[in-house]
Amino acid sequence: MTLLIGAATIGLVLALLALGVYLSFRIFNFPDITADGSITLGAAVASILLVHHWSPLVATLAGFVAGVVAGTLTGVLHTKFKINGLLSGILVMTALYSVNLHVMGKSNIPLLNESTLANQAESLATRLLGGGKSEFLLAGWTVGVRDAALLIGVLLVVLAVGLALYLFFQTNLGTAMRAAGDNPQMVCALGVSVDFIVILGLALSNGLIALSGALLAQYQGFADVQMGIGIVVWGLASVIIGEALVGTKKIGVLITGAVMGSVLFRLLVAIALRWGLNPNDLKLITAAFVFAALVTPAALRKLRLASKPAAT
Amino acid sequence: MLDLQDILKTFNPGTANEVRALRGVTLTLERGSFLIIIGTNGSGKSTLLNAVAGTFRVDSGSITLAGQDITGQPEHRRARLIGRVFQNPFSGTAPNMSIAENLALAARRGQPRGLGWALDHKLRQQIRDRIRSLNMGLEDRIDNAIGTLSGGQRQALTLLMASWLKPDLLLLDEHTAALDPKSADQVIRLTHEIIQRDQLTTLMVTHSMQQAVHLGDRIVMMHRGQVLHDLRGAERTRVRQEDLLNRFDAVRRREQLDSGVADLLQSNYV
Repeated sequence: MTLLIGAATIGLVLALLALGVYLSFRIFNFPDITADGSITLGAAVASILLVHHWSPLVATLAGFVAGVVAGTLTGVLHTKFKINGLLSGILVMTALYSVNLHVMGKSNIPLLNESTLANQAESLATRLLGGGKSEFLLAGWTVGVRDAALLIGVLLVVLAVGLALYLFFQTNLGTAMRAAGDNPQMVCALGVSVDFIVILGLALSNGLIALSGALLAQYQGFADVQMGIGIVVWGLASVIIGEALVGTKKIGVLITGAVMGSVLFRLLVAIALRWGLNPNDLKLITAAFVFAALVTPAALRKLRLASKPAAT
Repeated sequence: MLDLQDILKTFNPGTANEVRALRGVTLTLERGSFLIIIGTNGSGKSTLLNAVAGTFRVDSGSITLAGQDITGQPEHRRARLIGRVFQNPFSGTAPNMSIAENLALAARRGQPRGLGWALDHKLRQQIRDRIRSLNMGLEDRIDNAIGTLSGGQRQALTLLMASWLKPDLLLLDEHTAALDPKSADQVIRLTHEIIQRDQLTTLMVTHSMQQAVHLGDRIVMMHRGQVLHDLRGAERTRVRQEDLLNRFDAVRRREQLDSGVADLLQSNYV
């Protein structure tokens, strides 16, 4: 049970990453590698502030803001300096590796003795349950108070962010952003600066990813300069699983799908590790999985066409 | 209303692919006039339209619209004055968004976009009413993705979007060229209605001589990046399809003569 709750919690934390990747990759069709750097940046900024005894809420928000800055940078490189999108992301990601080391001062910051959002959620839950119990019974299962508190806390955060994102996409600015990904020529003819929208979108996307990093560091109790490597592929895997789960193009459903995809992906990973999968193979398998998910729809379509009798 | 002074534009200057697309175009359009631009392929008529829309900056010359010098303005800034319909029906609408959302985007053409709701009840009602006036049966489908519609339907909606906020200038770039004849007729009829109703100043590029003689109050014929003929007033009223075709033939004959003469000179003197 602890394993499942833990996997679901990490899945929800990384759902914010999935939402960020969804925004850049699906809305703009922009493969934004900055994610690898910005998730660590969020964790680094939040952790160093926590070590210096800032309020956990402020530290987490600062992580978000740092991600916004990183995304803005990628957006400016791409739109104002006309650098290929993939390359702008790689440039900022590479630069962020050094920035993260500078922010952290060393390659790993433990947060075990600091006051974090995780600890605050735990103490709040303990107070609500009244008493010093560290676990309770739920339908016959023993559930740790800390585990349950974190799961519910993260769930609330993800719900709030998902809802905010959904509502944003219904505003004038948000519809313009979706349209900019769908048909840039049209939004330009309707008076929207596509450059501005792309920068704003990448800023928002990386803000969410950094927020995910800030929460992840507090959940796992440390920030590590290596924690972002290959993370964009994880986000992508979640988005793709989510799309397969919901199968429509409605924006609200897709946002829900990305969150569900992230949780499901994490659960699958947890189960696979439990069954003896070598953790070193995890990234290889994730990459292979994303590859399969990207090519299968087209391959299926080809098969279906080939199996039909040729029309004359 | 629209004033073009000596517009020059060369693409890929200094390379083997150099194209002198516009070679000194001067054109003035009064408020409410409907100008049709015709010309051979590569004559620069679409380039001229794009120059006005701001797709690229011109090399020299000035563009004034509604009393403002817009020569240096980027495309999205000019959009508050200009409504556009493209040749490709896919260009004017966002396929994965609903009909209502597309029109809501158009309803704020050129205005700042903040965090207000894109679609409120009132706007939805207006959208439904205006779409009903198209008589295409789309008014009950305004929440469907535009990508599911036919080219003709999409072009009609693009026209509605371009004219939703009465633009100071409407640009139509061969907007029926990619449609089947029936849809093309329908879109042309709609174009005529909208321009008449709102008295829109319009610049329309077309390949169809039929459209050229039946629509508009002035015809400009372009050739090699310049204005060759400018038919207005009585001359415009008298002009028939045959006359326009004859003028095209004349251009073509002169072209052949030119290359023939060049060959002759070359063989004699080189």
